[in-house]
Amino acid sequence: MACTSGGKSDVAPVPEQFPVGLRVLVVDDDVICLRVLEQMLRKCMYKVTSCSQATVALNLLRERKGCFDIVLSDVHMPDMDGFKLLELVGLEMDLPVIMMSADGRTNLVMRGIRHGACDYLIKPIRDEELKNIWQHVVRKKWNEIKEHDHSGSMEDHDRQKRVIDDAEYASCVNEGADEVLKMQKKRRDSKDEDDTELENDDPAATKKPRVVWSVELHQQFVSAVNQLGIDKAVPKRILELMNVPGLTRENVASHLQKFRLYLKRLSGVAQQQGCLPSTYCGPVEQNLKLASLGRFDIQALAASGQLPPQTLAALHAELLSRPPGKLVLPALDQRTLLHASLQGSKCIPADQDVAYGQPLIKCSSNIAKQTSQPVMSNEDVLSEFAAWSAKSLGDMVPACNFGSVVERNSNMLISFIQQQQQQQQKQPVIPEPSRSINVQPSCLVVPSQSSPNFQAGNSPVSVNQNCSFRNLALDYNNPSLQSNNSSGAGQNMEVECKPVRMHSEFGTAGSVLSASSCSKDIQDSACQRVPSSLSTISVVMQVPNINDMQSSHSGKPDLVQVSTRNPVYVGKGPSIPSRFAVDEHELPMSSISQMKLYAENNGNKVKQEPNDLTENVRVGIPVRQTFPQMI
Amino acid sequence: MEVDQLQRSFLEYSRLLFHEGFLDGQFSQLQLLQDESNPDFVFEVVSLFFEDSERLLNDLTIALDQQNVDFKKIDAHVHQLKGSSSSIGAQRVKNVCIAFRNFCDEQNVEGCLRCLQQVKQEYLLVKTKLEAQLRLEQQIVAAGGAIPMLNEFC
Repeated sequence: MACTSGGKSDVAPVPEQFPVGLRVLVVDDDVICLRVLEQMLRKCMYKVTSCSQATVALNLLRERKGCFDIVLSDVHMPDMDGFKLLELVGLEMDLPVIMMSADGRTNLVMRGIRHGACDYLIKPIRDEELKNIWQHVVRKKWNEIKEHDHSGSMEDHDRQKRVIDDAEYASCVNEGADEVLKMQKKRRDSKDEDDTELENDDPAATKKPRVVWSVELHQQFVSAVNQLGIDKAVPKRILELMNVPGLTRENVASHLQKFRLYLKRLSGVAQQQGCLPSTYCGPVEQNLKLASLGRFDIQALAASGQLPPQTLAALHAELLSRPPGKLVLPALDQRTLLHASLQGSKCIPADQDVAYGQPLIKCSSNIAKQTSQPVMSNEDVLSEFAAWSAKSLGDMVPACNFGSVVERNSNMLISFIQQQQQQQQKQPVIPEPSRSINVQPSCLVVPSQSSPNFQAGNSPVSVNQNCSFRNLALDYNNPSLQSNNSSGAGQNMEVECKPVRMHSEFGTAGSVLSASSCSKDIQDSACQRVPSSLSTISVVMQVPNINDMQSSHSGKPDLVQVSTRNPVYVGKGPSIPSRFAVDEHELPMSSISQMKLYAENNGNKVKQEPNDLTENVRVGIPVRQTFPQMI
Repeated sequence: MEVDQLQRSFLEYSRLLFHEGFLDGQFSQLQLLQDESNPDFVFEVVSLFFEDSERLLNDLTIALDQQNVDFKKIDAHVHQLKGSSSSIGAQRVKNVCIAFRNFCDEQNVEGCLRCLQQVKQEYLLVKTKLEAQLRLEQQIVAAGGAIPMLNEFC
């Protein structure tokens, strides 16, 4: 035995300091290097996953969105160029990537930088170099926060950062959950005191000239883009059309870029998700025949990559530009796309929720009695859900029925959107979604449903930025979540299938909704196996973004739980919802707190209350609650 | 043999390896990485290196034997060999790889063949020496002793 000082037993007790537990993915086709790196990283107290193939690594990243904090990749690999992997990771997952190579020639290093690598290490790599890689994770998160700082005071911003730091520190420890909870409480309290409006967009009012792409602002943006035509939309014209004081051409330009990337990515990603469509191909096809289900179809199709990017973009534009009565389907997709793009690959805007939500409301009266499934599907954000819901609907509801409901809802959605655009303020309807739903299938309901979605969508920037943080937070939070998750749903980090990936990617409130809605009907133990913790976290993260406008809502524990569960739901399709529903009330409060914490930390916009988190959840829950009543 | 003696032999042998450039600081790092949870880490990595290198050398031989030498492919192999040898600290092998790559860039078949010859030699040398060192280690362990750290040599 070696005289090394190594030995796990010799290692000091888990320090409370970040970056312990940093989740690293190492990709290198050279098995020796891989093994050595793996060991070095373990010695740094990081959680290492190693991969000798780039394609496998990419799949892993996609499936386990939010499971990794940083990627280390070799440059020369047989199955994929390291720089290509670097680009894809940056685009899809927005994770910091460090390149490595035995070749340290300047031109290669330069290429690495150009492709977005945050560092370039020359082999052989010393362990001291690896010890420091956490800086890239932190730097990235901080930059994102800074860039999309909520239009609050500097104080808010600092506070956010402190919370993030606190969270990071706290989450490193296994007992972090409690600390996180405490920290969250503190944060929340202080936040409440000088809560600033989650200002959608009023750069002029902020101390810093930062633009917060709120739901409304984004809607304006999209409608302007739509007016000009996605291909012809130039920042200057968009800016003119939007006519928002304080908004600069640069703001619009960068937003446009993200939007375009999003659309592009969505179609690209959709095509890659082979397994996803397969499950839903059937239902989707069935639904194709049903006009009413068109929306879902489109989304499902989009997910399955059957829709070309142009269609998606067009659909998206449609959403915001069409008058009521026109295509609902496109709108939904578009919104989803739009928001998704805004949020990066990490989450799908709650738009889908909204879109779905409307029909849901409408449908509820028709369908509620039959099963909760239809309703749920409506609220689902992801195309998977769409497909699933379409299927459910097809199974349970006469096509015509659903169709009409959908149409009505779609129209309402559109009107709602337009309404929103005019209002430029938090949606008043949001507050009591459940109430609205109960009352009547009026536009009121829809808006409330949709508003969160819009909001979700609108905080693309923040979402994006938070994503990386989210991932980090997720990581650290995982142990706590898992430990707190009595139901054990969160324990399983295994990603079973691509759908899960998608979900985590798009884990917005929508998933929450779907989860809640599906609860009843699908009792599938498979749900349990879905990486709820992973998805949960991603969902959690997303929630805050959506919550900008929902800060007034007080979150309900159920809701929170629902959102937590979404990931599970997402991955497993129908089965998830049932599981989700069942477990909904079982989630320990700590999970909720944690989620809230994340919501807060997440927030460029979510500074205010934990409500934000619950807001999203709320979307789902109201519906859910409604159904029982209606049934 | 007594543990002390074995340990001294081991240290002396290792010192020589470092001195002659067969091993460099990276090897000492490997030793530091070994711990209770990975007690055979060095052995594992060295074994991987042997396997990988033999495969690469084989591929290189075949590639250079072709009518139309594919320099890109050769460069890729050499690059990998360079990477793995540097990861375990096989310094002399790595150095030959550097020269080898230069010849590749120049598309100099002669130069490449010479380098291939050289790298094979260096590889065999370091392999023999590492195996000898491993045997010494095993003897120490068998005699109940602990393997001395080599970080002073790097």
